[in-house]
Order: sequence, then C-alpha cells, then structure tokens
Amino acid sequence: MDNPWIRQNVALKEAHAELLTVTATRNHRLQATWLDPASGRQEQVTVDVSQEHFPSLTPMLPEVAWDEREIHDVFGYVPEGHPDLRPLLRTPRWPDNFRPLRDQPRARPTWRDAEPDNPALTVEGDGITIMKVGPTHAGVIESGHFVFSLMGENVLNLDAHLFQNHRGVESLLEGQTIDAVGAMVTRICAADTVSHQTNWALAVEALAGYDAGATLTLDRILLLESERVVSHLNDLAQIPAGVGFQVAHQQALAIKEDWQRGLQRLYGHRFLFDTVRPGWVASVDPENLLRLVHAIGRSWTPWRRLVEGHHGFNDRMAGVGVTTRAEVVRFGGQGVVARAAGKAFDARTLLPLYQDLRPVPVLESDGDVRARFAVRIHEVEASLRLIEQAAERLRRQTTPRDAHWRPPDEVSGQVVVYTESPHGLNVHEVAMDRGRVLRYHIRAATYRNWPLLAHAVPGNAVADFPLINKSFELCYSCTDR
Amino acid sequence: MSHIRHSLQIRHVDAGSCNGCEQELTALTSAAYDFQRVGLDWVASPRHADALLLTGPVSDPMARPVERVWAAIPAPKWRIAFGDCAAGCGVFQAAYGIHGGLPEADLVIRGCPPEPGAALQQLRDAMQAMAPHPDHTVGG
Repeated sequence: MDNPWIRQNVALKEAHAELLTVTATRNHRLQATWLDPASGRQEQVTVDVSQEHFPSLTPMLPEVAWDEREIHDVFGYVPEGHPDLRPLLRTPRWPDNFRPLRDQPRARPTWRDAEPDNPALTVEGDGITIMKVGPTHAGVIESGHFVFSLMGENVLNLDAHLFQNHRGVESLLEGQTIDAVGAMVTRICAADTVSHQTNWALAVEALAGYDAGATLTLDRILLLESERVVSHLNDLAQIPAGVGFQVAHQQALAIKEDWQRGLQRLYGHRFLFDTVRPGWVASVDPENLLRLVHAIGRSWTPWRRLVEGHHGFNDRMAGVGVTTRAEVVRFGGQGVVARAAGKAFDARTLLPLYQDLRPVPVLESDGDVRARFAVRIHEVEASLRLIEQAAERLRRQTTPRDAHWRPPDEVSGQVVVYTESPHGLNVHEVAMDRGRVLRYHIRAATYRNWPLLAHAVPGNAVADFPLINKSFELCYSCTDR
Repeated sequence: MSHIRHSLQIRHVDAGSCNGCEQELTALTSAAYDFQRVGLDWVASPRHADALLLTGPVSDPMARPVERVWAAIPAPKWRIAFGDCAAGCGVFQAAYGIHGGLPEADLVIRGCPPEPGAALQQLRDAMQAMAPHPDHTVGG
C-alpha cells in the first residue's frame, strides 16, 4: 500500500469513483482514468513501467484482473503480484515475443501449429465432472468457451475462456485517418454500435474543441435510445427462450422486428450502422419516429402484461443467478446487471449530451434473473419516453439543423470519452497525432460484467446457465475486439 | 440428392462476427421470416448438417474449430459465407487476428449484416441451384 500507484487508485475506489480505463502505452507508461459520479470529473493516475514490471492493482482491486492480464499479453509488461496471470487474449498459437500493441505488427504473425486452448481452472476431487461447452455452439450464438466444474447438477466453478473472436481491432485502428476509423468503430459490436460511434465522435469533437449544437445532440439521443430499444427487446426475447416460454420469446422477437423495420425505413439500417460521425449525425423527421414509438406501444403493452402475469415464468426467474450489490461494486459491474442489484449508476445522468432530459436510473435490488428482466422492461419504456421528449424538442426547433462540421486534419491529443450503451458504461480512450490514431482503447461494459457472470453461476444448477447467461446477455465482440 | 430442394439443415459457426449477423440469423427463425416453413433449420450437431454457415472474418482461435466442424459434416455438403466479413470483404480484413473469411464458399450472402428477407431468398434460390451438384467429398 505504500506504492503511490496502488494507494491513489485504491483511494479513488474508496471514494466511490467509477473506473473508466486502465491502459498501457508503448513508452512504458500505465494510466488509470476514474470518473467521479457526483461531479462528472475525471481523475488520472499514472505509473512508469520499470524493467518491464509494474505493481499489480488486482489484489486490492479485483475488477482490473483482466485489464492487467490483457496488458501482459499485448504489451508484455508484467503486473507484479497478480494472483492469476494466465493468458487472456494470448493463445498457444501466438509466436514468441508477439506483443501486438507494443510492436505494431505490419503483417499477420505466423501462427504456431498448436491448439488455441489455454489451460482451464477446474475443481478436482471425487465425483466431480468437468463439462466443456464451446467454442462452437449448438445454436446461433457468438463463440465462447466455458469450462464447468460440476458436482451432480450443481456448478462449483465456471472458467470462461473468451477472446475466441479476438480480431485485433485496437491494433488495426492505429495509424488510421479520421475518415477511416468510423466504419471500423461502427462494427466493433452490432448491439452497441451507436454507443461506439458516438464515443468516437465525442472524442474527435473534444480534441478539436467543437461544441455540438442542440439539434445534433438531440438527433444522437434518438439514435442511442433507439439502439437501447433494439438491444433490450432482443434480450427480453432471449430470457423467456431460456425457460422454453416460446410465446413470449416469439412475440418479443416480433416487436423487435417491427422496431428494426421502422429503423430501416427511417435511417436505412436495422442496427443503425454508420449513423454517427464526428460533427455529423443521421437525422429523420421526428414525426416519423414518434409514429413508430406509438405503433410499438400497441404490441408492447399486451406483451408486458403476458410476461408479468405469468406466475410460472416469474417463479422460474426469481432467486436464480444472484449477484449482490457488494459483488457488483467489487467487480466494477455495469449497466443492467449493476442496476438490477441496486447500484444506481447510469452514465446518461452525467453526460452533457442528455443535459436537461434528466434520465433517472432504473433500479431493482434482488440482483437475480427476474430483476435484470424487470430493469430492461422499465428501461425500454424509459427509452421510448426519452425518444418522445427528444423528438418533441426537435419538432419545436425553429433554427435550421447545424451545418455539417468537418474535423480539421491536424487533430492531436488524448481523451477518455464514454456513453451508456445498452450494456452499460462504454468507454473509449483515444490518442490522436496530427489526424491519425496513435492509440485506441475500447473498454465495454461487458468486459467488467463477464467476471461477474462467472461469479454468479456457481451454486446454481447447470441447467440454469442458459437462463442466467441470457439475463446478463453480454456481448462477446465488445469484449474480444 | 434432390432432398436439398426441400430441406437444408445448417450448422452455424461464428468466427469473429460483431453479433449483427447472429441477430439476423435469429430473426430468420422468428414468425416474420419463419425459415422452417421452407425446409431450413439450424442443427445442433455438424453430423446432422448439410451445410456450414459461417459468420465473421475467421479469428485465429476459431480457425481450427471451423475446420473440425466442416470435417464433421457428412458429404455431400456446402459452405455458406454469411455477411461481408465471412465473404472476405469486411472492414477487419487487415487486422492481425483474422484469417480473412471463408475460402471456397458455395454460397456467399453479402451484407453488413445481410438483410434477413433478402438472405432467406438467396438461401431458397441456392437450395434449388445446389441440388444437381452435390459432389463435395468429406474434408473437401
């Protein structure tokens, strides 16, 4: 604790700050950026990497366990005192000394002729069964590899091996021009694409000193909230599927389909790809979006009555996959998962973007599948109301839409920006040098929530894993990058 | 092999997708598209499959699992590249971690992600077109 890096970071955590990012750079420096949820101010702590080592924060702050393992894999800096320094992104197929973010590879590496699996953590003893799931799956889902240690039907341990979908996005972004970045950032993750796009736009605008006007801001809120509706409807459809409640599953998919067809009609894309750029946003006649909101309400209300009135379904969700508020705080959990356990954090309350619309975090306290389901239901309705408010304001706007601002070619500097994606606090740390990306770090909410999921599953029956997993509904692509 | 005209059983593997393709594949099962009505379905095992449908640009950790799934599908069999990444023309083509899509695809469904209505039509057309040429061998 006498180390200033550890002391300062622990002090910020104890002062209830939210960790935004822990990033390393090629010039042997680490930087932690924290957010004070009371004031919205950011605080930064830095440390030098000395002879390839830096003091690990993980024993005091377990939420950075993965960040430090990642830094070890992609930079080769060793977190001294880390309790579990197994590879996270690195696989046995990576060549020796392949440190992609440190060495800026110009070509693809020559992969070793080896299996990609990293060693799994399992429980050993009489009567214990090891069950491996993935990386390919029986249904249509993203790829992940899960190793369960079971005693009968009870899960003793879950070791989640993600990063099967690791593309190398951060490395690819380095050296790109402002015009080239947008299409890539859009496709980090389809479920949180608007949030990623908005982060990139906010980063460039902040570095260039551009102040987005009211119309631009309101149009972005329409997109961010429309995306939340798509994503939450998807998750609300998947949770009943996890217990075989097919009517609720299919009806929710039908509502989602109607919503996406509306977005396709208005914005030209069912997931809103390529709708936000620095200084620009796709805009529609607010009247048309209001009509879509009203149309959705007609099928939403009966669906909500169906799922809330079904006792069997609600009994099935109650008490399953519990995460407590204390665990959420300890692991830095975010988004629906955190709010369902009673942690009142929603980045929208801090964003200048939302100014006087004043969104209020939706809270539940039980931290189980039912609570996560309920938070999403309330957040869909809150998002539809926010869309109505923003659209009403746009309709009343008498000033013409802001002219398209083009960022200057010579944008330089470093900034940490964030939005509340459908999955929670989504952070980008962007460093630019004369209009080109020097370093781009993406820390999605799901990165924080995956370790929490692995923690919530033990103690439950293995047959409940799909239900618990779907109630967290964590994206792999945001995490794997 | 005319059964292909009436039924195509598909094993899906994601190899680095952004989850957009997966969501649209799930939409195909919904009432709006209901792809089972034309004989299409997902199967849980490659042993039951006629085709491998791949999404994503093929991330390195998934390269071997994809090969194994393909080897486990009995001949005759088809490869379907779903989406621009699997087609080898996505935005992440130059990233260090990827192999660049599905080689030798029998059917390429473009789009980022493909729109489900159009994708369903292409799958139906392909079911008709594939039938006379089902001569791939195991591992081929």
